[in-house]
Amino acid sequence: MDQIVSILVAGGREIFAPTTAAFALAAIGLNFHFGMTGLLNMGHAGFMLLGMYGYAITIREGGPMWLGLIVAVLAAVVFGALLGWPTLKLRGDYLAIVTIAASEFVRFLGRSQALKDLTGGSTGIRGNDFKKPFEALSPFPDRMVQVGPWNIHGSQSSSWWLIVVSWIVVGLFVLLFWRLSRSPWGRVLKGIREDEDAVRSLGKNVYAYKMQALILGGVVGALGGVLWAHANAVQPDSMGRPTTFWIWTLLLLGGAATIWGPVLGSILFWVALVTVRNLAGWLIPESMMTATEREPFSLVLVGVTLMCLVVFRPQGLLGNRRELVING
Amino acid sequence: MTLNRRIVQRALLVFVLAAIAAMAFSVMLGDGAFAAQSAALELVDNTGDAVETTDPAAPTPAGTNRVLQVLLQGTIFGLLLALASVGLSLIYGTTGLSNFAHAEQVSFGAVLTYFLTTKEPVGLPFVPVEFTIGIPLVPAALIAIAVSAGTGWLQDRFLWSPLRRRRVAVVQQMIVSIGLSLALLNLLQWWVGGRRLRLTTAIDQRWVLGPVQVGQQGLISAGIAIACLLGVSYFLLKTRLGRATRAVSDNPALASASGIKVASIVRLVWILAAGLAGLGGVLLGLYEQGTAFDAGARLLLLMFAAVTLGGLGHPFGALVGSLVIGIVTEMSSLWLPTDLKIATALVILIGVLLVRPQGILGRAERVG
Amino acid sequence: MAEATSSARAHFENVPHEAGAPKPDPIIKATGVKRRFGGLTAVDVEHLEVQRNAITALIGPNGAGKSTFFNLLTGFDRPQEGEWFFNGYSLQSRSPAQVARAGMVRTFQLTKALSRMTVMENMRLGAAGQRGENLFRALVPPVWRQQEEDITAKAEELLARFKLDTKKDDYAGELSGGQRKLLEMARALMSDPEIVMLDEPMAGVNPALTESLLDHIVQLREEGVTILFVEHDMHMVRRISDWVVVMAEGRIIAEGPPETVMANPAVQDAYLGAHHDTDLFEERK
Repeated sequence: MDQIVSILVAGGREIFAPTTAAFALAAIGLNFHFGMTGLLNMGHAGFMLLGMYGYAITIREGGPMWLGLIVAVLAAVVFGALLGWPTLKLRGDYLAIVTIAASEFVRFLGRSQALKDLTGGSTGIRGNDFKKPFEALSPFPDRMVQVGPWNIHGSQSSSWWLIVVSWIVVGLFVLLFWRLSRSPWGRVLKGIREDEDAVRSLGKNVYAYKMQALILGGVVGALGGVLWAHANAVQPDSMGRPTTFWIWTLLLLGGAATIWGPVLGSILFWVALVTVRNLAGWLIPESMMTATEREPFSLVLVGVTLMCLVVFRPQGLLGNRRELVING
Repeated sequence: MTLNRRIVQRALLVFVLAAIAAMAFSVMLGDGAFAAQSAALELVDNTGDAVETTDPAAPTPAGTNRVLQVLLQGTIFGLLLALASVGLSLIYGTTGLSNFAHAEQVSFGAVLTYFLTTKEPVGLPFVPVEFTIGIPLVPAALIAIAVSAGTGWLQDRFLWSPLRRRRVAVVQQMIVSIGLSLALLNLLQWWVGGRRLRLTTAIDQRWVLGPVQVGQQGLISAGIAIACLLGVSYFLLKTRLGRATRAVSDNPALASASGIKVASIVRLVWILAAGLAGLGGVLLGLYEQGTAFDAGARLLLLMFAAVTLGGLGHPFGALVGSLVIGIVTEMSSLWLPTDLKIATALVILIGVLLVRPQGILGRAERVG
Repeated sequence: MAEATSSARAHFENVPHEAGAPKPDPIIKATGVKRRFGGLTAVDVEHLEVQRNAITALIGPNGAGKSTFFNLLTGFDRPQEGEWFFNGYSLQSRSPAQVARAGMVRTFQLTKALSRMTVMENMRLGAAGQRGENLFRALVPPVWRQQEEDITAKAEELLARFKLDTKKDDYAGELSGGQRKLLEMARALMSDPEIVMLDEPMAGVNPALTESLLDHIVQLREEGVTILFVEHDMHMVRRISDWVVVMAEGRIIAEGPPETVMANPAVQDAYLGAHHDTDLFEERK
């Protein structure tokens, strides 16, 4: 019985954990790309990584928080512009390949020995170097605080303070997405998702709109990265290809092009992942599955989930089937 | 098909551009850390924990001529990469699918060979018993390749052709391949763990050929790769089935209209692609004196770069592209730190898309 | 209808019936336009002028280069050589969007109704100058709300005219083929273009709808819009066009009013020579 309760508690914690919020925010960014505009960005982790590097490096070098955020945003803007410049004129699958390549490139740069002084190499940047300014703002007590069954620190690292802030930020960007998707600007993007030539023939500069969507979504992803870093650390290998694919999975799970899809998807994804891992640990004997095997096991299920989603329910949980089925 | 002067010119142009880019890059980074670079390539599993291994493909101060040595290494690597890439290109050409799970086909061949041949105890997911199979390397490899080819058949039979029949869009199929890639990558990690796997414990005898040095396993791998690539080329050029395959890869609608049974060709392509990928994985595992669950995943970008460079859908383009990528990435280690080797390939990839998206052998698409 | 037609025809009274003939008030002038694909010259138009406020048909056998020429004029393709002007304004290196904004709007052979958007959304997208289409202004609804209402009203009017008003909240993908054609045409009119270029408007449309489409096109001319359309349907061409331009093998081989052009031996040769499947006997009726 106790085991069940602790598994439920652990799973329940994922509902509001900062990592969940960070991924929800990243997924909102991807929603601008894919949900609204049909852009195949397979390198979203790169935006997250650039965001966290931009912020953490600025803070480590002594800059204030607002400057850190500006640097994070600028890094995403530049990255998005560089990515989009050659590829937005090409077919969709080219953008997919280039975005993967570019974000792996960022990761390689980040973990390379040559840039170690700047990025911390493969160990990355420790929390102590950049989390302090944010933590200093916390009105919560500087100790462990118990709320219900969850005992979480008030202000440090993955704290109640971070939880409150990150979900407020998520809420703001959900609002932004809602506002923009119901606006004429959003309408143009949806048209582009359907048929670029038709939209061109109506006098709209398709390239400019795609670039705006790419950059805006990228900036939102970068901010997701900053949030994630505050709950963990800046570590290039945690922002690799698998991370991008998880964001895709949770976006499609919740429902691409919907307002709440990213949030719902992120919550479901993390609750399920953690719960499956814990259940596996509890129910499956060590001889059949060791502790280190639980993580890849749960991720196999993630991969299979993504496949099934795309084939059987591409509109996800919240999506409108008529609006989302992309059959040829 | 004759080796056209224009193609050679374009390939040379890419070399030159890549060399310039690599040099500019190294200037940017401040120093061309040479042989001082520690040859440590870290294997990472999903949780982000690093697993230290050594990278035997890094330019060891062997052989008397560094440039030739690296050129040889690049060529061998390029040949092995070609085995994996040709299939990727054919799949794209015949079905329009950018198959992200192709990387796992490569890993699977190598991992299965390890599973069958290693003298160390191995297990299966969920099964609580460990056992040793220990078949000699060659039969193990052959079985693994046959099974790989079989997985290609299975995939097309039960996943891809049903999806095509249901007229699922290529974009959606691509995302399915991403999910498959994620599932297979983790399945392999679950199966054999994150550590480095040796396919043979025999010591790799190094031979000195003039100014260069090469390992016996590397030489054999290259030889097998050349033989297979020649075989594939012969198939594609001289046999009716091969010509039909090229026709479908070039223009599926037209080929179908000419009476070619596209579905059968596609099935054949999947079998061939998966088998070649498996072979590539095994040979790469021999050449690099070790493999791992993510051997293919680490190659995915290089494969895409090679295939895009050569022209998506053109099998010979994949061959040319792989050689270029192999040589350029290895040679970049003359100027750049070794952990940025792959970065060079990425720069080439982006450059190709900028300048000539259809690749070396592709034809410009008609607009409107 | 007869007087209207004759007043449009009046423009062409003194125009010689030959390829490249100058028109009294040309809205489009194209000179020396060449488009090559590898070794094949798809378009080689020495000179063409399209008369304002009239309905001009562009006909020719399959492969004559009509659609390619269309793409060139509207910016969807780039020629190797040539220049062309719209109201005296050069369109030479303009993008399709710029061409559309200049007042030259086109439809497509394979209808591009945006299937996963509603009919009304399709229409609203066709409007020009909606301030809310700018990313920053979109965030401030008061800036564009009023415009949106005006656009919606205009869309409803056009939809009513094309008898699509009952479908306004349906997804465009749920409409029939003919209805989608009408939607594309209605959408094209949202920006009040000066010239509408229709690429095979009758393709795939059932006969009942054809008549109403023809009437719509004639009415457009009455409202001062110029029409240039590519067609294979000779019935339509004869019914409503004021002027016909014939292309074959990339060149313009004849121009003139429908009756004379059809009787032109060079034109008949072009069609017969290309094994075009027009029923020649129909013309004698």
